Amino acid sequence: MLPSIPTIPLALTLQALSLLLSPAAAATTVTFSIPPSPQIPNPAALPPSTHATLTTLGASYAAPLTVDNTFVFRNVTSGSYLADVNCATHGFAPLRVDVIPVAAAAGADRNSNGEEEDDMSLRVWETFRGNDWENKGEEIRPVTAGRVFPVKVLGSKVYYTERGGFSVLSILKNPMILMGLVSLALFVGMPKLVENMDPETRAEFEEQSKKNPMNSLMGGPQPGSNPMGNFDMAGFLAGQGSGSKEESSETGSKNGGKKGGKK
Amino acid sequence: MYLPFQALSLSVLLALPATVRAVFQDEVGHIDYHHELLGVPQRETTFFHRPRTEEKASLLYTLSDLGVLGAINPSNGAVVWRQLLTGNVTDGGGFLRAAEHSTWLAGAYGSSVSAWDALTGRSVWALDFNGETKDLEVMEITEGGRKDVLTLHQESGVTVTRRIHGTEGHVVWEHRDVNKDVPLQVSTSSEKVFVVALHGSLLSYSLNVIVLDTLTGKKLDEIPLGTKNEVQKPEDVMFVGANSASPIVAWTNTGNTKLNVNVLGLKTKQEFPLAADTVEVEIHAPHTIQSSPHFLVHSRTKSGNRADVFHIDLKSNAITKAYELPLLEGGSAFSTSSSGSNVYFTRVTDEEVIVTSSTSHGILGRWPLKAGAEKLGALHGVSEVIKKSGDSYAARTVVVRDSDDWTQIVSGEIGWTRLEGLSGAVAATWAEIPESEDLARTLEAEADSNPWSAYVHRVNRHINDLQYLPAYLQSIPTRFLSSIIGSESTETTDEVKRDSFGFNKLIVLATKRGKLYGLNAGNHGKIVWSKNANETPSGKHWDVKAIHADNANGLVTVRASEGQFIIVKSDTGKTVEAMPTGLFPPVDGAVVVDSNAGPWLLPIERDGKLADVQIGWEPKQTVVTRTSENQIEGFRFLEKGTVASAVSVWSFLPSAGQNIVDIATRPQHDPIASIGRVLGDRTVKYKYLNPNTIVVAAINKATSVLSTYLLDTVSGQVLASSSYEGVDPNKDISCTISENWFLCTFYGQYQLRESEAQNLKGYQVVISDLYESELSNDRGPLGDAANFSSLDPVDFPTGPALPSVISKTFILSGPITSLAVTQTRQGITVRHVLAYMPWSHSIIGIPRMLLEPRRPVGRDPQAAEQEEGLVRYAPAIELDPRMTVTHARDVLGVRDIIAAPAILESTSLVFAYGVDVYGSRTHPSAAFDILGKGFSKVTLLGTVAALLVGVLGLGPMVRKKQINMRWQAPM
Repeated sequence: MLPSIPTIPLALTLQALSLLLSPAAAATTVTFSIPPSPQIPNPAALPPSTHATLTTLGASYAAPLTVDNTFVFRNVTSGSYLADVNCATHGFAPLRVDVIPVAAAAGADRNSNGEEEDDMSLRVWETFRGNDWENKGEEIRPVTAGRVFPVKVLGSKVYYTERGGFSVLSILKNPMILMGLVSLALFVGMPKLVENMDPETRAEFEEQSKKNPMNSLMGGPQPGSNPMGNFDMAGFLAGQGSGSKEESSETGSKNGGKKGGKK
Repeated sequence: MYLPFQALSLSVLLALPATVRAVFQDEVGHIDYHHELLGVPQRETTFFHRPRTEEKASLLYTLSDLGVLGAINPSNGAVVWRQLLTGNVTDGGGFLRAAEHSTWLAGAYGSSVSAWDALTGRSVWALDFNGETKDLEVMEITEGGRKDVLTLHQESGVTVTRRIHGTEGHVVWEHRDVNKDVPLQVSTSSEKVFVVALHGSLLSYSLNVIVLDTLTGKKLDEIPLGTKNEVQKPEDVMFVGANSASPIVAWTNTGNTKLNVNVLGLKTKQEFPLAADTVEVEIHAPHTIQSSPHFLVHSRTKSGNRADVFHIDLKSNAITKAYELPLLEGGSAFSTSSSGSNVYFTRVTDEEVIVTSSTSHGILGRWPLKAGAEKLGALHGVSEVIKKSGDSYAARTVVVRDSDDWTQIVSGEIGWTRLEGLSGAVAATWAEIPESEDLARTLEAEADSNPWSAYVHRVNRHINDLQYLPAYLQSIPTRFLSSIIGSESTETTDEVKRDSFGFNKLIVLATKRGKLYGLNAGNHGKIVWSKNANETPSGKHWDVKAIHADNANGLVTVRASEGQFIIVKSDTGKTVEAMPTGLFPPVDGAVVVDSNAGPWLLPIERDGKLADVQIGWEPKQTVVTRTSENQIEGFRFLEKGTVASAVSVWSFLPSAGQNIVDIATRPQHDPIASIGRVLGDRTVKYKYLNPNTIVVAAINKATSVLSTYLLDTVSGQVLASSSYEGVDPNKDISCTISENWFLCTFYGQYQLRESEAQNLKGYQVVISDLYESELSNDRGPLGDAANFSSLDPVDFPTGPALPSVISKTFILSGPITSLAVTQTRQGITVRHVLAYMPWSHSIIGIPRMLLEPRRPVGRDPQAAEQEEGLVRYAPAIELDPRMTVTHARDVLGVRDIIAAPAILESTSLVFAYGVDVYGSRTHPSAAFDILGKGFSKVTLLGTVAALLVGVLGLGPMVRKKQINMRWQAPM
């Protein structure tokens, strides 16, 4: 069983609440506008399907986008409404709209622009979906001309995912490829570099490379032997990895033999 | 139900759609198809209009029979903009007028009057009045030089005429006339406003014309017009000449032998004889005030059409017949077009297009139709006649055809054709293409016969198949090439045949206008066949109650409410059997049942009654029907002599005061891949998989409490129920059930019980998972039993095996309707909940993972839960545009969504109908068994070639290096 069997008192209070909020005779006009913003520099370019809705328990209103980039809701009765703006290209923040009869809204700032709907006061806040209804955000002030409230755009809507297309750059960004390229450069460039060195630095370099544990790793088990001779990078690169181990040790011993022979 | 309200961390919200895979841009138009429709244009509300006076180009506007106001580019037939005039799909009627040299259009339907910008489709103003709008006209000449709108409303006992400011939308004046008259139309001449109403009682009306002052709306005069019982109902008065210099009112006598015409403002009428056998009379006249006061009377006889052209003398108001257009056999459509004071009449017959001027009968232009084999069958149309240099004219005509298509004819050439007949669909079903059934049957026959004859048969069959070999061999190179380049040549063929992926399926679509269509889902929803399937009198809609595809025989059965049904072949649309209205009792619906004679569509009569059926055809299942507004009953069929009759075995009534708002049943194809869910700690929660379950949603309108009941359809027992407070009964409530879960969506506004003073408001969805037991690795009271009966209580202290229910509620960012669930062949692929979002005109596929009741609340998921893919519960679900199946398309007025499995497990076929027709393929778990467009064979071959070149190039280098190394002296 679900843990949500209604408690009768609550249902009754809710009913009472809805009766309280049920349409009174008085009604007002609620107007929202889409001001130009960095996200929408030209609101006149928004699609005509853009519309706004006001919803509450037992009532809902819809208004299409007008030529003045506004949404006009007429005959809105008192109540607390959730306002949403629906647009195919942009997302908008939901709003809370309270339409309060002036008598009830004691202390609420009264709109003194002398319109015929003066008996209703309007207050608009940002609201957060999935949060407490009383958890209001920043109050939205009407723009100077009358009771027109600006709506806040969140951003443009993204409908598509990008397909990871083939591009040479993305291949080059791969670390494996980068490593391969560096090794290739070493493989091609190193002998030339070593050849171009003057004898002294060359000897020093060789001395150093003998000490270097990397070279011993690369060059096989004989640290004493010529590191260059055992540097089997080419074989490694050509994909002879599996066979190269034995081969390198073999060549290493051969090299050693040769060296010994020379000496 | 859980809805804790900590402040949401944005990261959680953003993390959720990461599981979502949106549509790729390059798949648009490849995997999906969309017929952007308006509905069939109505005669009175279709016209050409120039949206901007300074520009010459005009657009074609219409208010269709579905209430869609749309602008069409006449050069290619593409939609410029569309609006639902009242926000809902309507059922014919409505008014639409454009003011000459103005940028707006005015429309009205029901109680609302609105004006729209002609070029952008934006609203200019919108007003709501009490009472129904009876007419709307544009006042072309006003004191301020602008154009205003005149509307006529019928309130109870009051006829209200209003003049509305054209651009600002406020009422200039209002005239209320308390009487019992039936307001008909409003018209205006340059100095007066005329309101025509029917006075008297039904079957003996007389006409009453009220003359109002244009400036103040004061009543100037009232002119009664005797009709001698010739006007019996409002439809008998044909009224035209709305804004012509001399508006008229016209009606025929009962036998259609005489036409009575009255020039508004006069007390006398003039009579004109009509041709014998006239069945229907229509009057065509220009709507602009500077046009000559000429009008055309179109008389439709049983076999043909003729027309008479009349002139009105502006000084003496005398009407004279100028000339006549001869009777031509077959259908003809007349239309008017005016430029300056010239008025042209265009006649479109099945063979030709003829343009005449209103002043003389000389033919200005005549073009034979190059239509091809198809008959035009024009019903009505609009035209634009342009005078070119000298005496030559060009005519552009757009006609509505009896096939419900909308076709443009430019000087005899058929331009574009909009398939508006597909709009207003009321039912659709998937049907397999009956093709390889032959092979299956042959194989079956081979298996049944004795081995030797089977072998001979098989060898023969293979030899027979050899004849296709050369063609196959020939096709190999092109197929190879196209597969490398990536163009799928099979997609462009018009041939209807199955494919190896199962994408090629037929959709049989029934519209409310009585048409049946066969669409090929594999070929971008092209119409394979279409036919007029319903012979009910016009004006009444085809109320289709059930549609069923019998794939074994390749037949589709459509049953409608008045007892009529039609059985057609799914691939050709050929009628196999048809039953007209009235012979069978009216039905509430029909269900597919299994019987000894095979599955068939059992009709359910009014109030859920079931007729007796013949022995052998009785359903094996319990049949559940809705026997009254709030009662559901289960029936079993018992043999009684030679027939089997239905016996009620259980009935279900929701609690007092509740009304059933929705009943959700399982989809017919609902395979379950796994009976349990493996949790992160390697234990298993077993799903409660009872195929005989339905979900019933009932709401108490007084207390706004929604209750959902999960019913066992065999025993009628309530397996689970829950209640939700503060649910709006006037907003859409819908449920769906699949596998081991069901969900309901509604608009809720209530206070949480868990914590004090937490209110919430918004559209919500509640999902409930059903498991056999609350514990994992536990199969509940049934244990491992292979069978279970809904009727036998399990021998267990708690009684029958009730499912353990886990529920969660989520707040959605908008309403969702027309719920459906994706279907795949094996059910291995995760399911998506498909729904239409009426606010954003798109179809969304909400992943089941997002709507997961087991998402941890108030804490981050543990490692084991993370392994399951559970993310922390967040009460709000933003309906992310990337989840939409329809992506950026504007799909209007979806009534229902149907899904079907393809042969590929990853793919579910989706089809939506209503105003628009949309179809697509979805991959709920991404396309794991098919190479998408992202897989480029050219790139693959290129990479292989590059590697080959690299290996061939590097090989000698390496060899040389190694040899050099060995020969080099050590340093």
